[in-house]
Amino acid sequence: MSLNIVQHATCTFCGCVCDDIELHADAEKIVKTKHACSLGEAWFRNHTAERLYPEALVDGQPATLDTAIDTAADHLYKAHMPLVYGLSNITCEAQREAISLAELAGGVIDSHTSL
Amino acid sequence: MGGKVTCTLGEIKNRADFIVYWGGNPAECHPRHFTKYTLTQKGKFVPNGRKDRTMVLVDIRETPSARAADIFLQIKPGKDFEILTTLRALVKGHRVNEASVAETGLSIEQLRDLADRMKQARFGVIFFGMGLSMTRGKHMNSAAVLMLAAELNAFTKFVTMPMRGHGNVTGSDMVMRWSTGYPFGVSLCRGYPRFNPGEFSTVDLLVRGDVDAALVLGADPGATMPQPGIDHLARIPTIVLDPKVTHTSRLARVHITTAATGISAPGTVYRMDEIPLPLRPALVSPYPTDEEVIRRIREAVAKKPAWAQRPAAMAPTN
Ligand code: SF4
Repeated sequence: MSLNIVQHATCTFCGCVCDDIELHADAEKIVKTKHACSLGEAWFRNHTAERLYPEALVDGQPATLDTAIDTAADHLYKAHMPLVYGLSNITCEAQREAISLAELAGGVIDSHTSL
Repeated sequence: MGGKVTCTLGEIKNRADFIVYWGGNPAECHPRHFTKYTLTQKGKFVPNGRKDRTMVLVDIRETPSARAADIFLQIKPGKDFEILTTLRALVKGHRVNEASVAETGLSIEQLRDLADRMKQARFGVIFFGMGLSMTRGKHMNSAAVLMLAAELNAFTKFVTMPMRGHGNVTGSDMVMRWSTGYPFGVSLCRGYPRFNPGEFSTVDLLVRGDVDAALVLGADPGATMPQPGIDHLARIPTIVLDPKVTHTSRLARVHITTAATGISAPGTVYRMDEIPLPLRPALVSPYPTDEEVIRRIREAVAKKPAWAQRPAAMAPTN
C-alpha cells in the first residue's frame, strides 16, 4: 500500500511546535517521521487512527456519542460551579468552544498554566 | 510590575548573540530548541552560528543542557529571586551586600561577570523554565526576570521568553486572554469574567472541593493532582475528552474518545513565542475532534432554560 506523505507537519508535543516535520502514514499509523526529535517521533507513533477505545463511556459502560454528549450536558447544566480544565493539548478552535461552554454553564475555566 | 519585553524565535535565531537559559533543561525537554531556534543556527546578524553566540545556563544542578553551555552557573535551590535582584542592582551599578550574595551559591565575581556580559551583548535573551517559575517565589521570580530584561534595555536590546511545555498551553493563554481578558483561572460564575489565581486555579478548587462538576479536556489530573483533588474529581460528575482512556477517565462519569490534536485533528496551535501555526494531520481518526464534541455539548446546554440572563457576545460565530 502506498504511504501518504505529509510535508511541513506540525509537532505539538513540546512548546517548540516544530512545523518542519515530514510524516509517512498508512491508513492507521504514522510509520516514519523525518526531522522530529526523539520525543516528537514517539509522540507521532504513539497515536494511531485505530479504534482502540469505545467511542464513549458513561458510568464506566460503553455508550454512544449522542448519549455521552447529552449526559455531559446534563451534568454541566445542573452544576452550580462546573470547572473546565486542561486545554493544553487541544486546538485553539476547541479552546474557544470550551470558553464559550464555560460561560454558558456559568463555570470556571483554567489551564495547566495555573499549576 | 508587569509587561514582558519579548520577540519571536525567528528574531532570536537571526540576532541573539547572548543566550541565557534559566531553570530549564532544553536538551531533554525541548530537544530542538538549540538547533532550530537558538544556538547552532546561522542567522542574518550572527552569520557564524554557534561561534557568534554565548550561552549561559543557570540551574540548581548540572543537567545535560550544561554540555551545550559556555558558562554554567550552579545556584542554590530557591535563590533565583535573590540572584535576579542582585543582577538588577549590579547592572545599574548599585552596591550589593557581598555576605548575602554568598548564600546564593555564586560569587560576586560570577554575578559581576554575568551582569557585564548582559550589558555588552548586542541582543540578549533569557529563556526561563519551570525551575524558575515553579519553585520558591513562583510568579515573583518570573516578574524579576521580566524586570531585569526590561531594565537591560537601557543599555542594549534584551528580551525574555518562558519555555512553555505542553504543545498548546501558550494557545490556551492566548485564547483566554483575547476572549475573557485573562490568561487562566477565570471564573464566569457571575456571567462576566473574574481572575483570581489561588481562588480560581484548578488545584485549589479541587482540593477545597469548591466545584460540583468538571470537564477535563486533554489533561490527566487523575494522575498528577494532589490526592484530595483526585478524590474530589471522583466524587463529582467528571467528564473527560481524550484520545485515550486515561486515569481520569476511569474515575469519571463520562469519557468521550476524541481525535488526537495534530495527528488526526486539524486546527491551530501557538508556539512558545506566541506565533500561531496550522496543524497538518496525517491520519483520519474514527473519532470526532475535541472541537466538535465541545460544540455539541455547548449546543445541548444551550437548549436548556437559561440559568441567568444570557450574553450572546462570546459564542463563536461560524
Ligand atoms: S519535534 Fe521535538 S522539539 Fe519539535 S515540537 Fe516535537 S517534541 Fe518539541
